[in-house]
Amino acid sequence: MRKNFWLLMIALLTAIVLAACSGGDDGSGNAEEEDNGDDGSQITAWAWDPNFNIAALNLAKEHYDNENFEMEIIENAQDDIVQRLNTGLSSGTMKGMPNIVLIEDQRAQSFLQSYPDAFYAIGDYFNPEDFADYKLAPTSFDGEQYGLPFDTGVTGFFYRTDYLEEAGYTHDDLVNITWSEYVEIAKDVKEQTGQAMLSLDPNDLGILRVMMQTTGTWYTSEDGTIQLEGNEPLQMALENYKELMENDLVKLSSDWSQYLAAFNSGDVASVPAGNWIGPSVEAEESQAGLWRVAPTPRLDMEGAANASNQGGSSFYVLNIDGKEAAAEFLGETFGSNVEFYQDLVQEVGAIGTFKPASEGDAYQFENEFFNGQQVVYDFSQWMEEIPQVDYGMNTYGIEDILSAEIQQYLDGKSLEDVLSDAQTQAENQFK
Amino acid sequence: MKKIKRIFIYLFLSTAAIVSIFPFLWMIVSMTNKSVDVTRGKLTPGMHFIENLNNLLETTQIGIALWNSFLIAVITTVLTLLIGSLAGYGFEIYRSKGKDMIFNILILSMMIPFAAIMIPLYRLFGRISADAPFIGLDTLAAAFLPTIITAFFIFFFRQNTKMFAKELVEAGRIDGLSELGIFFRIYLPTMKTTYAAAAIIAFMNSWNNYLWPLVVLQSPENQTIPLLISNLGAGYTPDYGVIMTAIVIATLPTALVFFLMQRHFVAGMMGSVKG
Repeated sequence: MRKNFWLLMIALLTAIVLAACSGGDDGSGNAEEEDNGDDGSQITAWAWDPNFNIAALNLAKEHYDNENFEMEIIENAQDDIVQRLNTGLSSGTMKGMPNIVLIEDQRAQSFLQSYPDAFYAIGDYFNPEDFADYKLAPTSFDGEQYGLPFDTGVTGFFYRTDYLEEAGYTHDDLVNITWSEYVEIAKDVKEQTGQAMLSLDPNDLGILRVMMQTTGTWYTSEDGTIQLEGNEPLQMALENYKELMENDLVKLSSDWSQYLAAFNSGDVASVPAGNWIGPSVEAEESQAGLWRVAPTPRLDMEGAANASNQGGSSFYVLNIDGKEAAAEFLGETFGSNVEFYQDLVQEVGAIGTFKPASEGDAYQFENEFFNGQQVVYDFSQWMEEIPQVDYGMNTYGIEDILSAEIQQYLDGKSLEDVLSDAQTQAENQFK
Repeated sequence: MKKIKRIFIYLFLSTAAIVSIFPFLWMIVSMTNKSVDVTRGKLTPGMHFIENLNNLLETTQIGIALWNSFLIAVITTVLTLLIGSLAGYGFEIYRSKGKDMIFNILILSMMIPFAAIMIPLYRLFGRISADAPFIGLDTLAAAFLPTIITAFFIFFFRQNTKMFAKELVEAGRIDGLSELGIFFRIYLPTMKTTYAAAAIIAFMNSWNNYLWPLVVLQSPENQTIPLLISNLGAGYTPDYGVIMTAIVIATLPTALVFFLMQRHFVAGMMGSVKG
């Protein structure tokens, strides 16, 4: 009996050591590049959403004047790309990795900082200054430009004109307001029309990020220090969040489909979100003419802008054979072609972050669904005002910690305690 | 009094039945509705099934994905059963000094989560690719090779072999059958129910396997069904009608396998409990 016990313990130990070894390998292997994947004659690209990012890549291919250029675009869900890149890069096996990959801005730093050798700096293939300022920090690392900024996540305050009118507000009343004014308006809307102001998924803190970025602050500072405790914009954002929740101004949704359903079925009066939500709003044709977009509310602080960002992604080139061809392609299309951006807006509905594009004709389009508003042009103007933020490495990790704490905040725990507890947890986890 | 008790029992059972059947019902109803109706929670069948199916066929290579998943699942099931049962049989029938210790280590290996061995495994296949591209990264073989030997099935077969009458082995030996002959001609036919239960589990595991195929199968022509469904749901404005159609199609084969072997499955599982 005793002997068996010890044998079991030894086996258990071996199992643990084996598992630990495999985990520890993560960082070390990425310098190896013995397998350089494809032979370079053909370029592959990974992206998600066939109607948006992949359509944009296809369009760019059409605009690219190079007969020898062949590109295969492979559709991958965003989470799948993250998983595949992480596995591939951390094992140091570049075989099967794509030449071009789309990465969301808020995730980009974790890749660039963890696997600096795996990416190819493409700053020489286009002029980074042509792009919206706020896009540059997330896409560069160590003074080198690695990403070619693609779509903007510039946010807008989409609202139902009929509900807001009933509550006594005109468009001018909604322009350049603060989030606390937004909360007050929400109360009026609830009182007059009985509708909730917005829909939120309690597990997704996107709205807090939108509020915070209007002041140019984030969960982490530029040098990567976690700053939850004493973060004034975050405190203010949380107060607004609680106010919205407590006064029953929010229609809760538990997943994306419910979130979409909330405004498609007319249950909420507004959608403060990235411009990419536009097509989903327009999907409910019966509501044509009932929507408009105002600038994003700002936090009530000095220096805050009525512009923010949610989502948005950029293209990266991996450091494998074919990198020059891939970088040239990106530089000549997404990096400089104004005409391409006009088609991109018209055919795909994607708003890029290339500043010279906004003077083109397609950007002046008056959208009937939004009461003839020049929605695209407005977005491109707000885009230039988005305060720049360094998203750092752990945005989503910190948010997991915060969302648990926020539940306690809603249950009555004091704001200071919530943030200092979250700070301690985050510091322990991301040391 | 008895009647009231009965009513309560039926009430409880009906509730349980509705709760477990409702997701399937909803899935099938949603397959016939437009995306907007699905998000609205419409519960009545619509007229858009053909449209959804056409969209699915046009925008995805679901035929290829089905074939890949099927191929991987069948090969995995056959190999898993063969290897698992041979090992389980060996552990139970033959005498050896260290066999219990080895078996314990095997059982312990079940406790290591797949995520922990995934990166070394990926690296291994990356290396193999250079010399033997036909089983390297981005081949169907890479998708099933690491899954065919599992401690679980060895354990499962060993437990079930405990019910197997050892006298049959001795009788076979006396009559001059080889050891492999005993296994294939005596053991295998008498353990049919165990094999059926294991086949269902192995098939379902393989059919639904997501993480490993995701990282090793990169090109679209090697895509399996779970990867395809994951892609469908990834857009900014996913079409839920099409997704539901794909999910129904993806569920059919496992449902079919289950119903075909259901009788054996129950018997096989009972066996493993008794043992």
